[in-house]
Amino acid sequence: MDIKEKLKQQFNLSDEDFVKPLPVPTKWSQPFWDGAKQHKLLLKRCEECGRIDHPPYLYCTSCLSDNHVWIEASGRATLYAFAINEYGVPFPFMPDLPYVLALVDLEEGPRMITNVIDCDHKKLANGMKIEVVFEDVSEHITLPKWRPVKQ
Amino acid sequence: MSKVEYAVIGTGEVPCGIYPKRSEFEIAYTVARQAIQDAGINKNEIGAVLGAVHIMGSEYNTELFFGRLPEAIGAKGCKITAATVSGGGSSFSIRKTAEGILNSGETDTVLVIHAQRFSQFSANEQIKYFAAAGSDIEWDLPYGMTYNALSAMMTQGYMAYTGTTIEQVASVCVSHRKWANLQPNAMFYKKSLTLEQVLNSRTVSYPLTAFMCNVLADGGSAYIMTTAEKARQVCERPVYILGEASDYSHRSITNAVFSDFSKMHSFFEPVAKRAFERAGLAPEDMDIFELYGSYPVITLMLMDSIGIVEHGKSGVLFERSETAPGGKYPCTTNGEALSFGHTGTGVGFSVFVEGVRQLQGKAGRAQVPGAKFLIDDCGGGAFMDIHFTVMGNEIPN
Repeated sequence: MDIKEKLKQQFNLSDEDFVKPLPVPTKWSQPFWDGAKQHKLLLKRCEECGRIDHPPYLYCTSCLSDNHVWIEASGRATLYAFAINEYGVPFPFMPDLPYVLALVDLEEGPRMITNVIDCDHKKLANGMKIEVVFEDVSEHITLPKWRPVKQ
Repeated sequence: MSKVEYAVIGTGEVPCGIYPKRSEFEIAYTVARQAIQDAGINKNEIGAVLGAVHIMGSEYNTELFFGRLPEAIGAKGCKITAATVSGGGSSFSIRKTAEGILNSGETDTVLVIHAQRFSQFSANEQIKYFAAAGSDIEWDLPYGMTYNALSAMMTQGYMAYTGTTIEQVASVCVSHRKWANLQPNAMFYKKSLTLEQVLNSRTVSYPLTAFMCNVLADGGSAYIMTTAEKARQVCERPVYILGEASDYSHRSITNAVFSDFSKMHSFFEPVAKRAFERAGLAPEDMDIFELYGSYPVITLMLMDSIGIVEHGKSGVLFERSETAPGGKYPCTTNGEALSFGHTGTGVGFSVFVEGVRQLQGKAGRAQVPGAKFLIDDCGGGAFMDIHFTVMGNEIPN
């Protein structure tokens, strides 16, 4: 019996309890998720002052301007710090245990919380080079994730 | 040095732990009466009753907003009642509200109450709530982010960039537990904890083990705050608010003003310095460090920022038990979230109330002999802000 079936019996759960939360885009974040759908990592940059806001907000958090452009990130980053969840996570993520959460620093400046996948957990190291990879998780949503750059 | 205007004259507290049959109302009414009796004032002197919002929702909140507390407590002289909340920073924001009311001149006596009963929610509801509260629903939660993972990433980064060892991180838990073992109201009053137990307990979110993560619990506390002038008249040993300072950083840790986890002191330290300056005191004047870290790594980062140890080296103090009972730097003398119990916004309240007890000489077996001055902190969100308070049972010259 797989882990999900075991949990369902143990805690009297239904399939609904295993539905993962997905991003619900806002008016100002929709372009990011549209970009992700096309496997592009987009960042909101202010046309007035050059500030990149991630997460994006209604207007520039540096100069309050509405004037902005969405730029495509290089998809290269470094791993700043990480954690490996092994226990005590919401039910939808239990079948994925253990999995890596990471703070990654994009070349363009912003830091993101994400998963590092396709990696040997023992080889994770602060400062290692990683690259974006896109995971289509539903009809509308694609999540950018990261993996070590192959040597 | 700022003028000393406010003081705490009495406190109340119920045992912290899992008490499903003890309602939020019962907690609130109990701690309120204790605080009134401890302060030795007439309840009708209370001109304002402030309550902290119950985390995860509750009928208690509606009743709080609709003025139940003054009526139930019999505070016949109450003119103002309000609820205040800023997550883990609530003990500070509610005190600021109390100070504002005292400053308005409408009353010279304010009762502040916190009550929380997490045990009315299932473990899954609690896990889901704190996963969403500690991280961003749109940007973090879809990746399986949790509050423990947030602290785990900070611990991993702090260790990697400062050279702090996992044994030093674990020593914080042991130090806290030793204090809790002297506190009858602590959730883990009767349970000892060794370094080996902390290190060998189940990994929750690497590098954090189960004993490095706090446990949600039911509890509450209260205190009576007055003007410094009234405090001197009615209280034998008031605790004065000598200096306070605050700063805000972020909602998401990705936008923290401290992007380098080995330099979190760059965020905390200037705030602590301002609080010391306003109090007219220095770090070496502190007898106790009542720090609310919630996770061991934050306690280390806070201790790095107070001005008593080299940046990134506070792990050594905990490892050498200098922060434990009998040590030179008594740190968080009630055991804090990790060992007293995590009562939502209440951790900051319980640490503050313990600080008051210490300075009033009412801390029982945990009493630090001759304690005159201490520094207290709290903060909320996903480590979004910091509030330091320097307190004392005398006003420095």
